[in-house]
Amino acid sequence: MNSLWASLALTCYFASAAVFATERLRRRGRWSNQAAILLGAGAALQLVEFTIGVVQSGNLPVTNFAQSLSFLACLTALAGLIVIVHFRMPVVGTLVAPIVFIVLGTAALTMPERHLTVPATLRSAWLPIHVTLAFLGYALFVLAAGVSVVYLLNERRLKAKRLSLNDTRPAPSLEKLDRVNYHLLGWGFLMLTLAIISGAVWANTIWGHFWSWEPQESWSLAIWFLYAALLESRLSIGWRGRRAAALTIILFSVLVGSFLGVSLVTPGKHGGTFG
Amino acid sequence: MQQKLLIFGLNHQSASVAMRERLAYAENEIVPALLSLKQRAPSLAEVALLSTCNRVEIIGTADDSVRAAEEGLLFLAHDRAVPAESFRHAVFNLEGRDAASHLFRVGASLDSMVVGEAQILGQVKAAYAQAATAGTAGLVLHRAFHKAFSVAKHVRKATFIGRGAVSLSSAAVSLAGKIFDTLADKTVMLMGAGRMAELTARSLKQLGIETLLITSRTFDNAVALARALGGTAVPYDNFKRHLKMADVVIGSLAVTQPVLGPAEFEIIIKERRYRSTFLIDLGVPRNFDERLNSLENVYLYDIDDLGRMALQSHEEREREAARAEPLIELEVDSFMRWLEGLELVPAIKDIRSSIEQLRADELERHRVWLAGLEPEERARIESMTRSLVNKLLHRVLSGLRDSHNAMAESAYAAAIARRLLCPELNLDENEGEVIADEEVTRVNAAASNEVGGENSLTELRKKSR
Repeated sequence: MNSLWASLALTCYFASAAVFATERLRRRGRWSNQAAILLGAGAALQLVEFTIGVVQSGNLPVTNFAQSLSFLACLTALAGLIVIVHFRMPVVGTLVAPIVFIVLGTAALTMPERHLTVPATLRSAWLPIHVTLAFLGYALFVLAAGVSVVYLLNERRLKAKRLSLNDTRPAPSLEKLDRVNYHLLGWGFLMLTLAIISGAVWANTIWGHFWSWEPQESWSLAIWFLYAALLESRLSIGWRGRRAAALTIILFSVLVGSFLGVSLVTPGKHGGTFG
Repeated sequence: MQQKLLIFGLNHQSASVAMRERLAYAENEIVPALLSLKQRAPSLAEVALLSTCNRVEIIGTADDSVRAAEEGLLFLAHDRAVPAESFRHAVFNLEGRDAASHLFRVGASLDSMVVGEAQILGQVKAAYAQAATAGTAGLVLHRAFHKAFSVAKHVRKATFIGRGAVSLSSAAVSLAGKIFDTLADKTVMLMGAGRMAELTARSLKQLGIETLLITSRTFDNAVALARALGGTAVPYDNFKRHLKMADVVIGSLAVTQPVLGPAEFEIIIKERRYRSTFLIDLGVPRNFDERLNSLENVYLYDIDDLGRMALQSHEEREREAARAEPLIELEVDSFMRWLEGLELVPAIKDIRSSIEQLRADELERHRVWLAGLEPEERARIESMTRSLVNKLLHRVLSGLRDSHNAMAESAYAAAIARRLLCPELNLDENEGEVIADEEVTRVNAAASNEVGGENSLTELRKKSR
């Protein structure tokens, strides 16, 4: 790994994931706070790294796929921490900590030696705004999918009557998981919307047109419509609970597919290399 | 004069509820009862009274435990106006180690009907506070109760005896907590005004259920229960129209076949906009078709499911209770050691003051001669005699403390040392009395064993397991 900060962050994420995992296996949730603190420490270390990167390059260091992943890991950890603390749901950490560990680990392994510089045309205040909004949206969708997984697991145990009432570990109710999922989807959708708008405005200032139907743009629009439909189904028909959780997970896998596909396969300004 | 800890009385293992309720004391009756108990049972040096719905127990100290128990029993009979012979057979009588162990087990909720229930510790604390108020708790009871509190805390911390839901209604309530985040904005519908349904509704109500709808085939029953629980009665003919409002439905109707099937409930789910529904079927035969459980966001638990969960918690608690026993033993050991040490204290005190008195007498005898000496020489003689006394005392005391492990031995040694060193106390007569008393105690104990006494309690315990 090329950065001391990133390796420290990776260590924190690993420790956090390990503590969260052992907490799940044991009978009492005693160390969840410490695990959450480790997660926060990892995110803080990453923020230090990004600040250094901003100072050195003059802009947000997201010039390649690995850096994008690293940024995504940081935002996901932060958003996860907010959910854990605000909704008092340590169970979210059990999923988020290993996810950010894997994402940052992948970033570390694939990080190229030389960093690309941002082309002069793209160097503007719009870059951090657009990228942060988009990745924040992704981070929230990651969490929504995570919460949905927990929902489906708990729901299945409740249906099958395989529940133990002796469990003293803090377990959120189905209603709460569903509500948090809704919140995350709502905020994620808002971020995605703003990201698309900011991207369009930015494109207009550089190239003079808002939209050019390149792969990332098309996919984002498609995904925007899918998430809009998901939220709409809840508001109008009342789809919630099991069905909402399952759809959230399905939509998230579409999102992951498009993110990987666009970043790694197709060329274009979103293709990680500013091709 | 050995003070023994003793406990006698009745509890859910030895006496029926009918007997227990006749002997039970209300909270405000206890302090006056303790005061009059102290008068009517002079053998009890210290005394406390623990009265709950599961037990009426007198905890005290006495040097003659059999006489004290008999006096206590007669007091109860007199005070509660119940013939002594009607409950004598149900009275258990524990002393010494067994009494300490019993007190600690009661406080730690190991002796409770529902093992691990949390109320008993509060009740034991209240019993202690009342004895302290009445001024009937002394050195030994203070220590015994405080030890019981710390043991209870320790047991609760080190084991999981307090976990899980052990009744049908508490199982239903904790399941509701797995589905709903808050019950404050939820609606419960009660179908049928049965006892179990009412209990469950009451438990849910305590958690802050907002709306309670009650339907029953006899509308008057629904109205009566609605008034008692603070709900709304719904006519049985159109209760299904209200189902879409209900987040929790408790069924306890006496029916021959299910009143709710999946087809009609599917429509209700859509009307509810897929909000979760918790169906609790307490009816036998069942009120709800079991296929309802496979509908989206519907969770159906019948009486067997709830019973199984409660039983699981029960078994878990029993296992945990077994883990607590060694902890209790350890604490009983430590308490008994303290009590034994206490018995040496008066003897040691007597011996010390007796020898000190000898020294003072000698100095007094030579007062005139001492007055003629130089102050230096006087001081020297003073310190010589003091040192002699201290060395002698040290030998005696360390000898006594060496035999501290075996209680009988050290008590015996202390008695002999006291008799030899404190002739002025004229102990011989007393000693004889103690021995005679011991004889009586042994005979009485044998007699009570034959009739039942402690043995029947142990048997009951075994049976209840």
